[in-house]
Amino acid sequence: MKKVIILVLLIFAIGCTKTKYVKPTEKPAEPAEETIVEETMKPEVEEEVIEEVDIAREETVAEEELSPEEKAKSIFKDVLFDYDKYSIRPGERPKLDAVSSFLNENMGLNVIVEGHCDERGTNEYNLALGEKRAKSTKKYLVSLGVSPSRIIIVTYGEEKTLCSERSESCWQSNRRAHFVVAK
Amino acid sequence: MKKNSAVNHFKLNYSVIICSLLVIIFVTAGFSYAKIYIDIASPGIRKLPITIKSRGPSKTKKELEWIIKRDLDTTGMFEFVDPDVPGGEIVADMLVSTADGLSVILSVNDLIEGEEVLKIRLSSSKMNTRSMAHSIANHIYKVATGKKGIFRTKISYLVNSSSGRKNLRVMDWDGFNSTKIVSRGLTSGHSWSQDGQHLLYSSERKRKWKIFVRNLKQPRETVLFSSKGLNLVGGTSPDDLVSFSSSKDGSSEIYVINLRSKGLKKLTRSFGIDVSPVFSHDGKKIAFVSDRGGTPQIYTMDANGRGAARLTFEGPYNQSPSWSSNGKWITYAGRKNGKIHIFVVKSDGKDLRQLTFEGNNESPSFSPDGFLIAFESDREGARGIYIMRLNGEGKKRITPKNIKATAPRWSPYLK
Repeated sequence: MKKVIILVLLIFAIGCTKTKYVKPTEKPAEPAEETIVEETMKPEVEEEVIEEVDIAREETVAEEELSPEEKAKSIFKDVLFDYDKYSIRPGERPKLDAVSSFLNENMGLNVIVEGHCDERGTNEYNLALGEKRAKSTKKYLVSLGVSPSRIIIVTYGEEKTLCSERSESCWQSNRRAHFVVAK
Repeated sequence: MKKNSAVNHFKLNYSVIICSLLVIIFVTAGFSYAKIYIDIASPGIRKLPITIKSRGPSKTKKELEWIIKRDLDTTGMFEFVDPDVPGGEIVADMLVSTADGLSVILSVNDLIEGEEVLKIRLSSSKMNTRSMAHSIANHIYKVATGKKGIFRTKISYLVNSSSGRKNLRVMDWDGFNSTKIVSRGLTSGHSWSQDGQHLLYSSERKRKWKIFVRNLKQPRETVLFSSKGLNLVGGTSPDDLVSFSSSKDGSSEIYVINLRSKGLKKLTRSFGIDVSPVFSHDGKKIAFVSDRGGTPQIYTMDANGRGAARLTFEGPYNQSPSWSSNGKWITYAGRKNGKIHIFVVKSDGKDLRQLTFEGNNESPSFSPDGFLIAFESDREGARGIYIMRLNGEGKKRITPKNIKATAPRWSPYLK
C-alpha cells in the first residue's frame, strides 16, 4: 500500500516537473513563430525534461515510457547549411545518422523534412532553395536505408525563421532542415 | 481572425470605387493634347511650372489638391507655383461640388498661349475623394506629357500576419485603400493578369504549393495548377499565358500554362534552381533566375524556351527580374558588398545602374509606364514597400511602419 502511495506521489511529482519545464516552451522568444508547428520546441529544454523523467523512472520503476514522437524531438536536430548551398556538410552527417537510426527502429513512423532559409534573397528563390535542402536531406536519409516513401518533404523558404536579427549566427540557425515526426 | 488595424484603417471597397466613378466629358474645346509640355523621352527633363487651384467646399477641395500634387510630384516632372504667384505655365482649375456625390469640373489652361487645353467634368456617385483626385491627376499628366498616368493603378503585395501567415493584399499605388485578397496559409509568388482583372498567386495549403487564380471582383479563388513539389507564379503574358516554376519532375524548372485551356509547356531543363519567370510586356521574352552557372543570376530567353542567355555578370547573387513596359529595361535585386540592392540594366545587358544604396532592397517591380519602380526595403527597420523613379530618385515609403510588407507587384493600367 505504502509503495503505491509513494508511486502515486512520485508520478504526481513527475507530472509537476514536466509541467514546469514544458511551459516555457509554449512561449517561444519570437511571437511571430507562436502558431507554427508545435514541434519546434527548443531541444535543450526537451532534453532536460527527459533527464528528469529518466531519473524518476529509475527510482520508481513507473511505466513512464516516452512516446516515440517525444523521443524523436530530442533526437532530431536541425541540419544546418551554408549560405546559398544545399549540400550536406560533413559535420552535419551525425545528425542524419541519428534520424535514420530512429526511423529504422520505429518503422511505424514517418518524417517530414522542412527546408528553411535565412531571410536574405527573394521569397521564390528561397522557397526553391529550401526545397533543395529538404531534398538533399531526404536523399542522404535514403542512402542510409530509410525508405523514400517514409520521408515527406516541404519547403518554407524564409517564411518560418527562428530568429530575425541580421547577424550570421541568426542566419545560420535559419538555414536548416528541420524534422517533424509524422504517422 | 485577427485584423491588422493599421491596414484596415485604409480599407475601402475599391471595386465599388472603380465602378462608381463616372467620367463625363462635356466640353472638348481644343481638346486634343496637341502640344506636349514635357517630353519624357528626352534626357534632362525640365520641370513644368504648374498652378493648381480649386473652388468649392474647402475640406474636399484641399484634400483633392493635396492628393493631386502628391501624385504629380512623384513623377519629378512638375514644379508647383502658388495661384497668387506668377510663373505657372499651365493652370489646372477645379470647380468642386459635393451636392450629389462628388463632381469636379476640371479646366486646364495654357498661360503662354492663353487658351484652354482641357475642360472635363468628372463625377462620382460617392465621396471617392482619392479616386477622383487620381483621375484628375491622370488628366493633368496626360495634358503635360501626352502619356497615360499611372495614378489609378494598384500594387499587390504580401503582409506577414501576427499568426505566422503571409497574406496577399492589394492597395492603391500610393499605399492607400489596402484590401485583403488571400489570408489562408502562406502566399508567395503573385502576379496581375494583363487585363488587371485577375490575380494569380501561389499559396501553401496543407504543405502543398498550388497556383490559384482569383477574379478581383469575386471572392472565390480557383486552382490553376497543382502538383507535388513547389509551384510558384512568375508572370503573365498578353495572350493569357502564366509563367511559373515547378519542381513537379524533381528540379525547379520554368513552365507556362494557358489560363483558359490549361495547356502546359515546359521551357527549361537544368539541374539547378530555375525560378521567377516573368514575361516581357509583348509576351515575346521571359526573364528568369537560374543558378545553373553556380550562383543565382538573371537569364532571358524567348517565350518558347529557346535562346537562353545570361543577362547579369556582376555580383554573386542576382534575383527577381521585372521588365519595363517598353521592354528596354530589366530591374532586379542583386548583392553588393554584403547588402542587396536594386539595379536596372538594358535588356541587352548594357548600361547597368545601381538605384539603391541604403539597407537591403528586394523585389523591384516596374509601374506600367516604366517610370516608377516599387520595391521592398529594410532601410528603416521592418521591411516595407517603397517607390522610386527609374533614375533612383524620389524614394518614399508607401506602407505603414507597423506592418511587415514585402514583394510588391505593380498592376497594369486599370479601367
